[in-house]
Amino acid sequence: MIEVTTDWYLSLGALLFSIGFIGMMVRRNALIMFMCIELMLNAVNLTFITASKHFGTIDAQVAVFFVLVVAAAEVVVGLAIIVSIFKKQETASVDILRSSKG
Amino acid sequence: MEYILLVVVFIPLMVSIFLNSISTLLDERLTTFITINGALLSFSISLFMFGFLLLDKFKPISLKLYTWFPDPEIMFEFLLDGLSGTMMLLVTGLGLVIQIFSTSYMSGDPRYVKYFVYFNFFVFSMLLLVMSANFLVMFFGWELVGLSSYLLISFWSEKKKAAKAGNKAFVLNRIGDFGFLIALMMILNTYDTFSFKKVFATTLINQPENLDLIVVFLMIGAFGKSAQFPLFSWLPDAMEGPTPASALIHAATMVTAGVFMLVRISPLLQFSELSSILIISIGLLTALISAFAAINQDDIKKVLAYSTISQLGFMFIAIGAGAYVAAIFHLVTHAFFKALLFLGAGAVIHEMHHEQNIQKMGGLKKKMPMTAAMMGIGTLAISGIPPLAGFWSKDEILASTFANGGIYYVFWALSLLAAFMTAFYMGRHWLLIFHKEPINKIDDVHEAPKMMTRPLLLLGIFSIFIGFINTPFFHGLEKVLHYTLLDVEVTHLPEGIAVVILALISIGAGFTGLGLAYLVYIIDIFSYFKFEIPFIKEVKGLSSNVLYLNKVGHTLFVQIPKSLVRKVAVVIDGLVIDGFVNGVSSFFYKSSKIVSVTQSGFVRNYVVYFGLFLLLLISLFIATPLIAL
Repeated sequence: MIEVTTDWYLSLGALLFSIGFIGMMVRRNALIMFMCIELMLNAVNLTFITASKHFGTIDAQVAVFFVLVVAAAEVVVGLAIIVSIFKKQETASVDILRSSKG
Repeated sequence: MEYILLVVVFIPLMVSIFLNSISTLLDERLTTFITINGALLSFSISLFMFGFLLLDKFKPISLKLYTWFPDPEIMFEFLLDGLSGTMMLLVTGLGLVIQIFSTSYMSGDPRYVKYFVYFNFFVFSMLLLVMSANFLVMFFGWELVGLSSYLLISFWSEKKKAAKAGNKAFVLNRIGDFGFLIALMMILNTYDTFSFKKVFATTLINQPENLDLIVVFLMIGAFGKSAQFPLFSWLPDAMEGPTPASALIHAATMVTAGVFMLVRISPLLQFSELSSILIISIGLLTALISAFAAINQDDIKKVLAYSTISQLGFMFIAIGAGAYVAAIFHLVTHAFFKALLFLGAGAVIHEMHHEQNIQKMGGLKKKMPMTAAMMGIGTLAISGIPPLAGFWSKDEILASTFANGGIYYVFWALSLLAAFMTAFYMGRHWLLIFHKEPINKIDDVHEAPKMMTRPLLLLGIFSIFIGFINTPFFHGLEKVLHYTLLDVEVTHLPEGIAVVILALISIGAGFTGLGLAYLVYIIDIFSYFKFEIPFIKEVKGLSSNVLYLNKVGHTLFVQIPKSLVRKVAVVIDGLVIDGFVNGVSSFFYKSSKIVSVTQSGFVRNYVVYFGLFLLLLISLFIATPLIAL
């Protein structure tokens, strides 16, 4: 029987974060990018909880609640933005939005 | 009781503010009603105050209104003594008469109300100046009269000349005011107070080392305000303003502020030998130059303007000679006959449909008998013909100068020459306007309206009789100024028969001048000569161009600095300052161009940068060994 140690959880968190990050870099659909952000956020949450469990303190779990609240708020704003982008150009691709080009 | 002083000073300000704030609601009749009644009120209160002073033998009344700073003591305080009382009566009285004249002269002007707003504001500023009990309050008044003078000179600012003349007056006055300001700082530094009383009291006990300097700077202030050489060229230009305003400001009151101020500081002046000599020389120079210039002017008002400068020169001569009473006496008489002459000129201009060239006038005495008679009185008065006002005051100046002896004999002789020239050009002025056969026939000219001739009549009567306030037989004005000049050494008339001889000489000069004017301009004596008089053309040119002083001044102080500044501007501004500013901006522009390549506008690129920096951070984190987990 293999014992599931802290390292496993941390590795899973890192893996999830990397997937999210790579997704952010390569995908153009705003909705997918948004999902990647959520993935990264939850990867960080997982890392927090693992650390909390490992050290036997509760501080990190409190931080997770904050992250969840912020993520919820972000979803509200972010989805609204994505909907309005889609309404405007009938695609959710972010490559058309290049007004910040220097 | 003292608070009535405030009422006198602030009534004109109230009238001014009131008229200004409801100016859109007012028509001419209502404006006239308000302003004349305001002037009447402040004149009656002035008379009352003067009567009160008279009963109290001119003991000074002072009012400490408000302490601005306790140490060094800077206060708003007012003072009413013989000197400021005389000026107060003069300003409010002439202000009233001239306002009555103005209601007719300015009638029909689209900015009728504005004129009286400025006018009342001027009266307020002048009263503030004369009633001040310290140098600072005086300076406030000093600056405000400058402002209102500027406003009234450029009253018809749609005329470019008027606007320019206003600027010129303001700038030249500023040079003088600068001197006053420096003097103020030095006074505060030396005496730790601005109050006349304390400054004079300290000076009487021991004179500070820089007294000469203080007095010289105050004197420069006086030269600017009173249009003395070399700061006089603004006054002839100031004639672009409405004539009644010229009468009050640029003849009777404001320009005499310098004289008033020097008499006020006479306790300081008596200890400064240097400035007395300076004042008398500059006064004399001014009197001679401007009298010479007045001889060949063709503008009816410019002759009077140069004559005013010349008469102010006489007042400065009196001050330089230590005859302070004579200076104030001449100030008072001059105010009356010069206001009379100006208002007369105003009436002529008004009836001649704004023709101001006296060569185009002539024979007006039949058409405007009243104006002609009154201006005749003014001319005789300024020429020093007894028993008119000018004789008494001018003779007192001449005689007092003579009484000093020594070098002052020369000053006396030159002043006599100036007096002779005064009679000559004033004779020419009157004869060309009223007596000479006109070159072109002048029709359509009538006597001025009653609102104009009545003030003229009043001023004419005063011009005859005002001289009797201070004759060798009755020293009225000297008693009035007794407290003001209590600690001052005043030059008096010479004793005995000398006075009579000097008087006869100056009467002679006056009559000769007038007679010569008649010979030259009416009989045309030059045409009887068989030969050409040498240099007559050059002399005429010199006179009408005021010795080319204006042109010299323009080249020296306007054109040369202008081209110099332009060169400096090209080098300093163009190369150094612009170069620096442009260099900085182009550096950032270019460098930002390079950096901005990274800003692709693709969100995912930004994510990559973000990731790269994250990796950097993590590697730093790992590379730092002493982070305890």
